[in-house]
Amino acid sequence: MDLSPKTRMLLRHETVLLAVLLAELIFFGVAGRNFGTPDNLANIVRHSVEIGLLALVMMPVVLAGGIDLSVGSTVGLCAVLFGKLWRDGGLPWEVAAVATLGIGATAGGVNALLITALRLPPLIVTLGTYSLFRGLAEAITHGTDAFTRFPPSFLFLGTGRIAGIPAQAWIFMLVAAAMWLLVHRTTFGRSWRAIGFAPEGARYAGLPVGRRLAFAHMLAGIVAALAAITYTARFGTAKADAGTGYELAAITAVVLGGTSIFGGIGSVHGTLLGVAAIAVLGNGLSRVPATMSSAGELSGLLTGVLLVLALAGGAVPKWFAERRSRKARAPVPP
Amino acid sequence: MLKRHFREFSVLGVLLSVLALLGVFAPDFFAPQPLLSRLTAAAPKLVVACGIAMVIISRQIDISVGSLFAVCSVVCGLVAAAKMPLPLAIASAIAAGAIGGALNGALVAGLRLPSIVVTLATMVTLREGLRLAQQGVFIDLPDGLQWIGLPMIGGQYLVCGIALTVLAAMAAVMRHLAIGRAVYAVGSDAEAARLAGIRPRLITFVVFVLMGALTGLAAVMNVVQSPQVDPNTGRMLELEAIAAAVVGGVAVSGGRGNLGGVLVGFLLLACITPALTYIGVKPYWDKAIQGAVILLAVVADGLRNRKNGR
Amino acid sequence: MFRSFALFLCLGVALLTGCSRSGPDTGAAPSGGAPAGKRLTIAFMPKSKGNGYFVSCKQGADQAAKDLGAELIFDGPVSPDPAKQNEIIENWITLGVDVIAVACENKDGISTALKRAKDKGIKIVTFDSDAEPAARDFFVNQATPEGIGNALMDEAARLCGGTGEFAIITASLTAQNMIEWQKFIEARRMAKHPGMKMVALRPCDDLKDKAQAEATTLLGAYPDLKLLMNICSPAVPGAAEAVKQAGKAGKVKVIGLGLPNENRRYLKDGTTDTVILWKTVDLGYLTVQAAAALAKGELKAGATSFKGGKLGEFRIVGDNILLGEPFKFTKENIDQFDF
Repeated sequence: MDLSPKTRMLLRHETVLLAVLLAELIFFGVAGRNFGTPDNLANIVRHSVEIGLLALVMMPVVLAGGIDLSVGSTVGLCAVLFGKLWRDGGLPWEVAAVATLGIGATAGGVNALLITALRLPPLIVTLGTYSLFRGLAEAITHGTDAFTRFPPSFLFLGTGRIAGIPAQAWIFMLVAAAMWLLVHRTTFGRSWRAIGFAPEGARYAGLPVGRRLAFAHMLAGIVAALAAITYTARFGTAKADAGTGYELAAITAVVLGGTSIFGGIGSVHGTLLGVAAIAVLGNGLSRVPATMSSAGELSGLLTGVLLVLALAGGAVPKWFAERRSRKARAPVPP
Repeated sequence: MLKRHFREFSVLGVLLSVLALLGVFAPDFFAPQPLLSRLTAAAPKLVVACGIAMVIISRQIDISVGSLFAVCSVVCGLVAAAKMPLPLAIASAIAAGAIGGALNGALVAGLRLPSIVVTLATMVTLREGLRLAQQGVFIDLPDGLQWIGLPMIGGQYLVCGIALTVLAAMAAVMRHLAIGRAVYAVGSDAEAARLAGIRPRLITFVVFVLMGALTGLAAVMNVVQSPQVDPNTGRMLELEAIAAAVVGGVAVSGGRGNLGGVLVGFLLLACITPALTYIGVKPYWDKAIQGAVILLAVVADGLRNRKNGR
Repeated sequence: MFRSFALFLCLGVALLTGCSRSGPDTGAAPSGGAPAGKRLTIAFMPKSKGNGYFVSCKQGADQAAKDLGAELIFDGPVSPDPAKQNEIIENWITLGVDVIAVACENKDGISTALKRAKDKGIKIVTFDSDAEPAARDFFVNQATPEGIGNALMDEAARLCGGTGEFAIITASLTAQNMIEWQKFIEARRMAKHPGMKMVALRPCDDLKDKAQAEATTLLGAYPDLKLLMNICSPAVPGAAEAVKQAGKAGKVKVIGLGLPNENRRYLKDGTTDTVILWKTVDLGYLTVQAAAALAKGELKAGATSFKGGKLGEFRIVGDNILLGEPFKFTKENIDQFDF
């Protein structure tokens, strides 16, 4: 089987990550208390759905060479507007939810407009919207308003089970499957990969770069809105601080999963593995007696270390390959 | 010159307009002593913004400065509280910063890892490690440390003076010294720089170490302003510094920007929050206005790009 | 490739579920109270780690756990994510702890998780900030939000002679307990001290340095300001330092909710007039004692008093175990405390 070097490298990163995940599962299964029970595993899934959704939709943005720091703030804004539409607007929650998805699309659209139409760097635009969206959420609620007492039919989304599996896990799996197809089997995905790999080249090749990037950002907004809905259903309350810090967690999962921050390389299954590895680590540490009381800090610390190791692991073979090629290119003395 | 530095001058224009508005609606804003106190409190952040500008110009980024700032503050505090001489406490903080910077630099320049991810990892690791170690407990400082033993006014002028000196020195180095020009070159096109004889990876490493040292210096400048160290300090510092640099015209794509712009961008963003308090705007508008200002500054750039056909 | 990945993951999960060690499946039967002879597991959660206030609660909690010979798990949110407390509670449910003691960041949000824990037979004790009463067994009440709000407002009025402008520095606009306190401060002001006027409310994000900067700005923006009320504990020393540096020590009063150690120097030199708090170490101690008694079945609904280990008897009103009144730390008594 003659694999291109790129495919070979991709395979290697994800296989290693899979091995890490399995090692974590085995270690915590043995050393942790009540780790492998169905209840706990269900919890791991439930707690990682929002960050998982954001990571899934951040991945195409990063693949296309961009970034979106505003997704966490979009979650907060959408949560608050969802609550407001339901409580003050009197809409049934189903309608409010659909409207919220539209709001998410609009938020993503703002990013898309500034990035594609005005050609502004995504880092700065999303840094601005990171403040702006959170600020709008705070302004709408005056910081203090919280929307609660949602009907049980809505809360079921976050706390109930369908066929033994947590309800929001089904939503997550649907989105994961859709993203996988989108990135790996459609022209959209191929465009994103091409744009990330060589933006100017993609432009000359006739790809509608602006439209593709805009689509990625709007998708990010819509899925952030969806995450806001599952978050509110799980937590039972919608406040302006919903989703704080989620953007960095999502980026961490995406990069851990093998997507290059420069664009052009990455996979959805890698991202899923990244999300899983971080979620299992966080949960597992809270069950090992020795680390129970410092689980929060340790999981952050170890995630940082894991990230560097994952990157360094990918960089080392590249380094060797480059040394070899440099030696080959070196001029031969006459 | 106006055309070449259009961005910086337009931000200066916005800053002057804001100050003019304040002069009309809230003239108390310019009362000398409170103004000096506010500038002194903001001075450490200016130092960090200068460093970040340098990092961004070299086409990298560093989001770990906030956590590193906290670590250096705690190091300074612990060394001082252990009754060690003052210069040692200051030197330890700067050294701790340089070491942190060197770690980032080694991973970015040495292993060629993307700087946003490396500094994301160091940010998280440093913050959580510090939390484990210090548990959020304040550190009481010995009396001689506040304002380095000077009377308060003298101390305030000293801190502001240090910030301006750092700004001027870096501006001079970036503009006139070869090593400064090398940073621009590496940020514009690392490969071309390499062919021209510059060593991009060495420059990148030095940039990160310097960033770390500046962070340590900023931490010291902050520690001497009060008799206790809060280990939670420095939160969001990286975003404030990056925003200041970018609003001031430093291009994220590297190779462009100058420290005069950084000063203007920094002053603009730093005066928004107090301005809102003086005018009496409710606090829940803070973040929305900050975000809007950042976007406006950047949009103006984008519109110009579109006009120039880029 | 995708297929083999999916296969791997399924195998891994199946492997784990099969070899789940230690303890019954907590999904099936409720774990009830602790059987005699087995070491109690008490799970203790602050509002956030890395906050001096809760570190001092932990001191007391650790001491009580040692006295009782119980296992104490101390975990809490390190990030500002408000849903984090729920996640930790849910993890503890499956871990199989005997009793949970929690200071609730978000009253409505956390009650969903706590109710689920109660259904599984885990006892719940809240401290510092309550959840919904239906979601927990007892609340160790060091001071009601109303009591705190009244104490702060009364003290402010006392120091200002009944009239004057004051400003409040809070942690963040969304912090639930601060919102509660502000409500009661305002209610007390309207009812008893209408001559006092609140001119500004600024957040300090729980950072001492930011509080110092905000206080400096407030002092400049409101030249007639008479008092700074700091309801966020890092803000009390921050504001005091700002007042000192502005040369207004004594002219602008500083009060707040804070820790004695952090405020000792300002109380002594007169910059800060009063710091209101309660004995946090005792709060942690009493909470763990109550938690253990609850788990062992010794503390039952309807009790009117509770013996909290070496601290002695405490009154119970309804389902609130009362620690006592808010305590005023002043220049005179500050040296007796170390936390």
